[in-house]
Amino acid sequence: MTPRTRYFLFGSVAFLLVGLCTGVVAFYSGLPMGAFGQQNAPTELSYVPAEAAVVAYCNVQDVMRSQLRHKLQQNMPNREEGQREFEQQTGLNIERDIDRVVGFLVPTGTSEAYRGMVLASGRFDVVRLEGLAREHGGQVTDYKGRRMITRVMDGENEGPHKSMTVAFLKPGLVAVGDTESVKRGIDGVGGANITTNKDLMNLVHDIEDSNAWAVGRFDALIKHANLREGVVSQIPAVKWFSASGHVNGGLSGVLRAETRDEQAGQNLRDVVQGFLALGRMQAGNRPEMQALVSSLQVSGTGSTVSLSFTLPAEAIEAIGAAAGAMHNGHGQHERGKTDAQ
Amino acid sequence: MSTHGVTLPVGSPARAPSLAAASFRIFDLSLGEMLWSRRSVFLGLVVGAPVIIAVIFRTVELFNLPAFRLNGVRVGGNVIFGGMIWLLYLNIIVPLLGVFYGTSLMADEVEDRTLTYLFTRPIPRGAVLIGKYLAYLACTGLILLPSVMLVFFLAAPLGGGGLPAIARGFPDLLKDLGLLGLGLAVYGSVFAFIGAQLKRPLLIGLFFMVFWEVFVFLLPGYLKRFTVAYYLQALVPHAMPQDGVVSAVQSFFKETTSPVTSVAVLAVILFVFLSLAARAVDRREYVLEQ
Repeated sequence: MTPRTRYFLFGSVAFLLVGLCTGVVAFYSGLPMGAFGQQNAPTELSYVPAEAAVVAYCNVQDVMRSQLRHKLQQNMPNREEGQREFEQQTGLNIERDIDRVVGFLVPTGTSEAYRGMVLASGRFDVVRLEGLAREHGGQVTDYKGRRMITRVMDGENEGPHKSMTVAFLKPGLVAVGDTESVKRGIDGVGGANITTNKDLMNLVHDIEDSNAWAVGRFDALIKHANLREGVVSQIPAVKWFSASGHVNGGLSGVLRAETRDEQAGQNLRDVVQGFLALGRMQAGNRPEMQALVSSLQVSGTGSTVSLSFTLPAEAIEAIGAAAGAMHNGHGQHERGKTDAQ
Repeated sequence: MSTHGVTLPVGSPARAPSLAAASFRIFDLSLGEMLWSRRSVFLGLVVGAPVIIAVIFRTVELFNLPAFRLNGVRVGGNVIFGGMIWLLYLNIIVPLLGVFYGTSLMADEVEDRTLTYLFTRPIPRGAVLIGKYLAYLACTGLILLPSVMLVFFLAAPLGGGGLPAIARGFPDLLKDLGLLGLGLAVYGSVFAFIGAQLKRPLLIGLFFMVFWEVFVFLLPGYLKRFTVAYYLQALVPHAMPQDGVVSAVQSFFKETTSPVTSVAVLAVILFVFLSLAARAVDRREYVLEQ
């Protein structure tokens, strides 16, 4: 064997070994949120408990600035009064001051099926919010260095009273939820939180081009939905689901389900295809519905089933106009009733 | 007794090396020849094509151009990699390398009229074929498998999957490397037999690859069970996207056997054809054209 043949062999084997070692390291470390991990997951997820059944995220700034929202706003102009009132009380302008929101639900296993928390990132007038909370009977406490304002709600029966908490977790990050959830969220930072849940984080990392999404354990939701046995048996064997959407001129999104096995995935794909065919028949001569239905596409591999859709700007305008007409019709009806009285 | 500094055993003729030792010597001799031959340029081109495709995908993504989509849905990097393994490597590259290298193991020596030098050595004739077959495996494997590795690291993170996608796809990569190695070994043994037994082996090998391995494999019925592709396809770890044309194409390959059966059948094919090839070399009288 000549030296250059030997060098080639060693080089080739070394390349293979380096690749295999890299793969092994990547596989065993999982790389969910590590130094090399993708940063498409919001940092607020470190406050979400590992056992959360549903986690949702919304980039408020993206949605508020979207053409879709402006179009809908033109058709429904009277909705801003509530926002102004909210701003006067809290000093918060949702359009301007809130950047993004993360929320989650955790099953409790009690009669109160879920508890949860909403984390809002943005710019907050902490003094004003604290004053407002105190005015409404809130008590200021400290929990692990975080300032919390808690208000115990009046219970209807003898059971434990519910308490709501607003916590200032760090500058520009506020949590609102029941006290237990807020405390669990703070406890989970740096420890057992949702970022250690590989299955769920894989779903989060797979979401792309979205300014709003939700991921969750479908089986946990069904378990706590108090459905009848007959209904539960008819529901597809879905373990995880994710819904993601991108709002701008139109609305596009992907619904994704992870089934228990490949056979269940194939069955679900067939069922969805069947419904799509039915939908196409029903859309008939309604152009705005045809645009939506024809944009629906089923895809997926193995146990993954994806349904993507695109709602074009024209269809949204038509829906917005219809909603506006309904709203105006309802207003005229109310005025008519008042005049008659 | 000493002749030109070489000491020979006194009183008995030199013992012929065993089949394994002789095969290794032929392997050692043939690997360099095979690696630095003109055929390796062809091998480089064939194996380089998927790497170039993966680089193009990466470049497209680097420039924030729309990623690879299927009916508007972004396709993940591992699915793209799986598609490349299934479509390019398993269906095209591995059989092609098997044909070009396998059929030439003995044919090249006949064509170059150098077979006499090997056959006049005190080694079993079958060792010539086995040594050359091992050299073929090392030569093609050590070029093909690093190329697959490179394609994996380029393609798996596509579609925003990043390094977590590499972690998820790694078990499939290991299966793919094993599968491609097995494919090279089985196709190599089949075409080595064709090369050792028949005249014009390249033509017959290409005909076998296109007609038998592709056409017969696509035919409905039981005939596909007599193709190598049928058992190799059963071991593919990737599921293709279930949509339109792709799912229609994949539906041709749905009827497969269990992985254990497939590996067993492939091992039998490898052993039988390699034995037949060695036997053919052992018994056939090669006539070197003047």
